[in-house]
Amino acid sequence: MTAVAVQGPGTVPLLTRAASAEWLRLRSVRSTWWCLLAAAAAVLGIGVGTALDEADMAEASGSTASAVLAGEYGLMIGQFALLVLVLLAVTQEYASGSIGPTLQWTPRRGVLLTARVTVPVLVATVAGVLLAVAADVVAVVVEPSLTFSGGDLADSVGGIAAVLLAGGALAVGTGLLLRSTAGALAAVFLLQLVLPALLPAFGVRWMADLGELLPGSAAIWTLLGEPEMSAGQATTLLVGWSAAALAAGGWSLLRRDAG
Amino acid sequence: MIEVRGLTKQYGAGRLAHGSSAVRAVDDLTFDVRPGKVTGFLGPNGAGKSTTMRMVLGLDRPTAGRALVAGRPFATLDEPLRVAGALLDAQAVHPGRSGRDHLRVVARTNGIPVRRVDEVIDQVGLGPAARRRVKGYSLGMRQRLGIATALLGDPAVLLFDEPMNGLDLDGVRWVRGLVRELADEGRTVLLSSHLMSEMEQTADHLVIIGRGRLIADASIEEVLRGQGTGRKVRVRTPSVDDLAGALLRRKLRVHPTDDGDLLVEGASAETVGDIALEVGAAVHRLAEEHTSLEQVYLDLTGDSVQYKVSSTKELVRS
Ligand SMILES: Nc1ncnc2c1ncn2[C@@H]1O[C@H](COP(=O)(O)OP(=O)(O)OP(=O)(O)O)[C@@H](O)[C@H]1O
Ligand SMILES: [Mg+2]
Repeated sequence: MTAVAVQGPGTVPLLTRAASAEWLRLRSVRSTWWCLLAAAAAVLGIGVGTALDEADMAEASGSTASAVLAGEYGLMIGQFALLVLVLLAVTQEYASGSIGPTLQWTPRRGVLLTARVTVPVLVATVAGVLLAVAADVVAVVVEPSLTFSGGDLADSVGGIAAVLLAGGALAVGTGLLLRSTAGALAAVFLLQLVLPALLPAFGVRWMADLGELLPGSAAIWTLLGEPEMSAGQATTLLVGWSAAALAAGGWSLLRRDAG
Repeated sequence: MIEVRGLTKQYGAGRLAHGSSAVRAVDDLTFDVRPGKVTGFLGPNGAGKSTTMRMVLGLDRPTAGRALVAGRPFATLDEPLRVAGALLDAQAVHPGRSGRDHLRVVARTNGIPVRRVDEVIDQVGLGPAARRRVKGYSLGMRQRLGIATALLGDPAVLLFDEPMNGLDLDGVRWVRGLVRELADEGRTVLLSSHLMSEMEQTADHLVIIGRGRLIADASIEEVLRGQGTGRKVRVRTPSVDDLAGALLRRKLRVHPTDDGDLLVEGASAETVGDIALEVGAAVHRLAEEHTSLEQVYLDLTGDSVQYKVSSTKELVRS
């Protein structure tokens, strides 16, 4: 038996293969399904509940509320289950040491990086959008006084997708950089939820200003329209933080020892 | 074929000096691993065997030097599993996935048909356990899964890092038989171990390292001969002079022992027995004595053992 020269299949099929392996990897572990279940419970439960409250309040003041509030409020909390899904897809391999084997079958690290960023982030985004729309529909069915227009829905879905894409990229990047589930979870939660909510609460000016520079503030603005900021600012924050996280995580995967 | 050229790996920053955190785990290693043979990669704990294998597989970045697998750096291969398969750490598998799902993920990355997954599952004897989650696997089952993964792409080059660690006798025999078979099929097999006794029965060729440096790169026979301690046969006969003369005429080295036996160097029991028959010498005892490989190994690596057990039975760094 002699070593045959191996004809590479080319980068595009390679990427397709790596992505398809990531997809299989993702759906063949239970944690993925637990995260999706938690996301579904959070988005539908919290989202529909909050939308019904809003409908009552609007009715009391003689106006109407939009059903898309259901998906938006739901996603505000439910996004964390989806971010955990994305993060675990990255960090679990460092915990079990299986990043070594993974790089044995996909040793071209650029290929692995592309697949590893794309697949979990897309899965989380698609799942989040579907759950949000489902929450909107359930809210309208339960409380027909809610308004539900195509324009509102398109806006809402666009915002939700943007938040999840940016949050997912942040989670993947942080996971690749820190290589630890606990560390990366703490970092993502602080940046995305805890600090943006906490810092303004101190009533100290610079803390509030700092809070507005965090990715979570842009996510909250996109979903709920708070705190005060322009669409341009929010976009800059979402894109900037995602890009920085991906750059740092990408460097970690491409340049460092496997780990 | 694996070619290792000047491979060096330093952990920690700074120059090597007392008190500095820098460790030169692998230090200017150069050797080839050839097809058709089982090459034993031998060295005491911490000698740098795993680090070398990780660099060969492109997992760790060498500080200097390079390694080629089938003529190319491993990290540039598009379908690496069709070129080289490796088992470095059998524990490094996601515990929540079934063995079969694990293999399916791996197969997918290299465009290997799913049919092959079931073939290797059969080949390593994982059987119905393949559908259970890895979490519940015994060490032996994990080793088998790791070996199945290495075999998946039917590669010409195989690397196994201490595959017999923690296996029971059956398991050890199975691995031995398997690597022998793989080498006989013409594949390149590199098998690491820190136990000479394990290699003695498995390997054709030895690459011995200590403290990251190459100590020996030779066939087992050469390693033995290099130390002047080849295989010996002890023979007891009433016709000492006749037999000794016949053996000497065959250019064999013969020493009388204190209890009147003859010690024959570099011959097998068969040879000595046949010669005795030819000259009509009665043989009352015939035994091969070869525990010396272990001793040769200890002699070779003696200076380079990093961790020694002190008299108080605690591990100290020498
Ligand atoms: N990531 C790391 N950082 C720092 N030092 C390391 C690292 N990995 C290995 N080393 C050191 O490099 C040396 C070689 O380790 P290696 O694991 O390659 O040895 P080995 O020959 O495989 O030993 P064993 O028989 O115990 O498996 C050891 O001194 C080890 O402490
Ligand atoms: Mg080792």
